[in-house]
Amino acid sequence: MKKLFFIAVAILALGASTARAAGVGVGVFGGMSIPVLQDDQDKGSLMGLRVPVKLVPLLTIEPFYAKSGLGDKTIDVAGLSLTREGSDVTSYGANIMLTLGGPVSFYPFAGIGSAKFERAAQDESFTSYHLGLGMGFGVVPKLSIDLRGELQAAVDGDVSRKMLNVTLGASYSLFSMP
Amino acid sequence: MKMLRTTVPVLALAALAAAGCFLVSGQFVVNYALPSPLHVTTGATLTGVDVDLNTISEYDDHKADLKRVDDLALVGNFRNNAGAAAQVECWIVPGATLNLTPVQLSTQGVKLWGPINVAAGATEKVDWNRSATLFVGRQTLIDEIKGDGHFSLYVTANGAFDLDITNGAVIAVIGAGK
Repeated sequence: MKKLFFIAVAILALGASTARAAGVGVGVFGGMSIPVLQDDQDKGSLMGLRVPVKLVPLLTIEPFYAKSGLGDKTIDVAGLSLTREGSDVTSYGANIMLTLGGPVSFYPFAGIGSAKFERAAQDESFTSYHLGLGMGFGVVPKLSIDLRGELQAAVDGDVSRKMLNVTLGASYSLFSMP
Repeated sequence: MKMLRTTVPVLALAALAAAGCFLVSGQFVVNYALPSPLHVTTGATLTGVDVDLNTISEYDDHKADLKRVDDLALVGNFRNNAGAAAQVECWIVPGATLNLTPVQLSTQGVKLWGPINVAAGATEKVDWNRSATLFVGRQTLIDEIKGDGHFSLYVTANGAFDLDITNGAVIAVIGAGK
């Protein structure tokens, strides 16, 4: 009986802890996507949406959707300059973030998703891996600004297209459990 | 909770492992300039161009680690010197044979690109994007790039033709990783 009581208390405590930590927000972001080790495209703009869902203390899962337009690249061939159109990249997936509280916080994150590259004669989708570090500022209650840097790798077998994404975003907390 | 806190680093490591060689892979542009001007006319034998990508350092340096061919282009300015419009095509011969007759070309070669209509006395410029829409034998060229990198190209047209190709080049974007 005593054992059951402690188990029940433990479950309630865990549940209360989870409830206190829970919350859902919505955010927008924009910035630059810089190709890494890609001779055929140049840097371009990036923008997107994300929905941070805080499930338990320290951990946030964040589905995201992003679009970037990589820049055209000029290539010299036998003294002649040729321009190759950059790809439009549509990415979606989810990041998991190790979030700490406070008015200013640093958080590492990693994620997985899909990245679709489109340009003339190209329409390919790859599994996309994300790894980065963010810095968040609580501006006013419910609103935070964040600056992030991430390495995105769209992988096909043994090779990948890599981008360094630098973004500035704002997130608004729709609701959170007290 | 402790297990959950390890999720981010574990996911990050999984991303690195799954991406495999992503830190040492990249996309490289290989371009092979055709003789300029390249003059081709109707005749008992046709003028072919010997293309040996092994003479190009970007290809030779990454040939052993070549994993995929991301993009192809065959560009140039195609001038029709004849008195009638020409339907210009480009053929690839995997065996790298030169001076083929039209019959031999049709049996040993594969149509790679075209046709484009060039009016009498006119010049058509084919840039990277236009080239992308003209490929019909893409896989043969990909196989050659992944193979020995040595083949021959023939530019031909219907009827009696007289063409000058200037600033012509074969370009490939290759993905290579160790």
